[in-house]
Amino acid sequence: MTVSSIATHRRRAVTAAVGVSLLLVAACSSQKEGSTSAANSGGSGSAASACPNEQQAQEAYQKTWQAAEQQLGMSGIKAPAVKVCDVDTTKYKKPPKNGKYKIAFAAQGPTNSWAMENEEAFKYQAQQKGVDVLYASANGDATKQVDNIQQLASQNPDAMVVVPMGPGITGQVRAAVQQGIPVVLCAGRLAGNSGAVSTVARSYELQATLLAEWLVKQLNGKGSVAMLSGIAGVPTAEFQKVAAAKVFAQHPGIQVVTKQYTDWSPTKAKTVASNLVAQYPNLDGIWSDSGFSDLGVMEAYKQAGKQVPPLTGDSSNAFLKAVKGTNIKFALSAFPPEQSQKCLDIALDALAGKPVPNIVNVESAAYTNAEIDKYVRPECSDNLWIPSSLPDSLLKKLKLC
Amino acid sequence: MTAVVKPPAQPRRRQLEQILPTIAPLGGVAAVLVLVALTTPTFFTGATLSLVLFETGLIGVTAVGQTLVLLVGGIDLSIGAVIGLTTVIIASDSGGSGARLPTAIALAAAAGIAVGLVNAVLVLVRQVPPFVATFVTFVLVQGGITAWTQGAPSGDIPEALGPLGSGRIVGLPTPVWIFAVLAALTGLMLSRTALGRHIYASGANRRAADMSGIRTMQVIAIAYVASALLAVLAGFIDAGYIGHVDAQLSRSLNLDSVAAAVIGGVALTGGRGNIAQTISGVLLLAVLLVWMVQLGAGPGGQLAVEGAAILLAAGLQHGGLFTRKKQQKGVRR
Repeated sequence: MTVSSIATHRRRAVTAAVGVSLLLVAACSSQKEGSTSAANSGGSGSAASACPNEQQAQEAYQKTWQAAEQQLGMSGIKAPAVKVCDVDTTKYKKPPKNGKYKIAFAAQGPTNSWAMENEEAFKYQAQQKGVDVLYASANGDATKQVDNIQQLASQNPDAMVVVPMGPGITGQVRAAVQQGIPVVLCAGRLAGNSGAVSTVARSYELQATLLAEWLVKQLNGKGSVAMLSGIAGVPTAEFQKVAAAKVFAQHPGIQVVTKQYTDWSPTKAKTVASNLVAQYPNLDGIWSDSGFSDLGVMEAYKQAGKQVPPLTGDSSNAFLKAVKGTNIKFALSAFPPEQSQKCLDIALDALAGKPVPNIVNVESAAYTNAEIDKYVRPECSDNLWIPSSLPDSLLKKLKLC
Repeated sequence: MTAVVKPPAQPRRRQLEQILPTIAPLGGVAAVLVLVALTTPTFFTGATLSLVLFETGLIGVTAVGQTLVLLVGGIDLSIGAVIGLTTVIIASDSGGSGARLPTAIALAAAAGIAVGLVNAVLVLVRQVPPFVATFVTFVLVQGGITAWTQGAPSGDIPEALGPLGSGRIVGLPTPVWIFAVLAALTGLMLSRTALGRHIYASGANRRAADMSGIRTMQVIAIAYVASALLAVLAGFIDAGYIGHVDAQLSRSLNLDSVAAAVIGGVALTGGRGNIAQTISGVLLLAVLLVWMVQLGAGPGGQLAVEGAAILLAAGLQHGGLFTRKKQQKGVRR
């Protein structure tokens, strides 16, 4: 045997060993990747010691939870302990220059219909309030958003609203705050040390817990459940996944048979759900974080000629239109793109020197199949997020209705 | 460096080298199927196998195009964007009406040809390395879709497209039939026609091919356009499969076609490989993808397995199992 052929054999053996071990690692890796810390941190850096107006602020936060469970006809859902306080904003108080505030908006960028409506709602609200907007699109990318925040901060805005794309932007947010700019985190959150004055978002835990509890109730606490999340590693998907899994873990009768990702793509969701139909023919329920994924789930069951088990999701017109006239049981909870309007309002409150809560839990619609006729908008686009608070003329202009 | 004079076992070894590239990936499929049988017995049910065949069809259609591009020494990374673009064009142009579907199909095909030509021009005229050129078009098309639709593509997929993605012929998913026909035709073209020989020649040694009178520019351009058109076809299948516009589709780089071809043993350096290898690669990949979901592996696991399979395939190709041919590629003009 030649030296080179010995070397070749050895190399081949190493390649094969690496390949096989990777296969094994991957096979055993079920779902460990992408998990993010589920810390319930709010946005405030100033609530460290004293907690002004704690009781009222806490009540306002809890009220959103109670409203949500009532909407689905449930009670007794326990909200996680979150420290909510008022933040003193007197140091940010200033009159508008030339009669108008200049607010920076570090947005996601129109990478999907939710982000598009999120931005349009913000711009509309700014127009209503007579505010100038400095806009930057992150194109869905945290790295790009770091640049965006830096550039926006350099234009000396009075305040800044950030739709956070990931924990990577925390340092840049802190830098903007140190520059004296009040920052409001919008429809997402960062760890507690970002220095943001307030975090305005529909609670991920609320969304996920509410829908998981509804599913448990539908199944009378007994049955097998599949969990479908959006994109691995994306906070919106991961926080919800953790919160929902926690609920299922509290019910010994509920067995989570698989956890999968759909990338919020109906196509991918249909492939994943086709697999579910084949592998778990007696699946009792599907917890999903997205109406767009539900669209794929529905198509998969339809193709297999089987009844869709009770399922959950957020509130997209696409799903409502597709599901109308069927007997599919579902519960949806909206993660409204219009929360950006509340974010702007809170930023303006801070500029007026009014105390603002460090966490604002946005109220939204939660409903079941029983109320579909009240919510579905057959005349509007699949892309519309339901219910929309934007005026019809604007929805028409955006080709959403 | 050779320590001992090589024994005269060359002929047998050469024979082995000729058969192995086709047999090895099939062996891989068999090995994986054994593992599958051991871990997830439910895999071998009609519903799961039909899902595997569907995946085979969908990946296969784009893998045929990718194989052509790889054979001429290129690579096509723009396939995912073209698939997304196709579904968006179908939805917005037809608005869900079957009557307007032919126009929408023509438009989508035209867009596909345009993307293929841009790829070819960048690679051939501007001499941009293929993976850069086609990645640029991927980004451009994706950007174009976002600018055009603002992330919210409107319209609906006409029901007439449904059978293409969700239909069955003789009990098997339609896409796998489409793939079978395409693979057979391409296989014949590659082995029996002048164009086929020109494709191999252009990929193996472009300068020599040029000198022997082959219009390599034309041949390479044909490969890129064919790949883009097959991506358009995959877009039709996807649209028919889900029946709704999927804004997420165009955001995926979708490297399944490259993975399938490489796992099958088609050389990234051009000029070596055949459709039979692509078919084995596609089968292996489809089985792996469905198996991973059944195992409950997360996306990390799925990617790691895909990566491991490619690594194994590439390792076997370059580790000396087959002759290591020094590719004397022609200097690009």
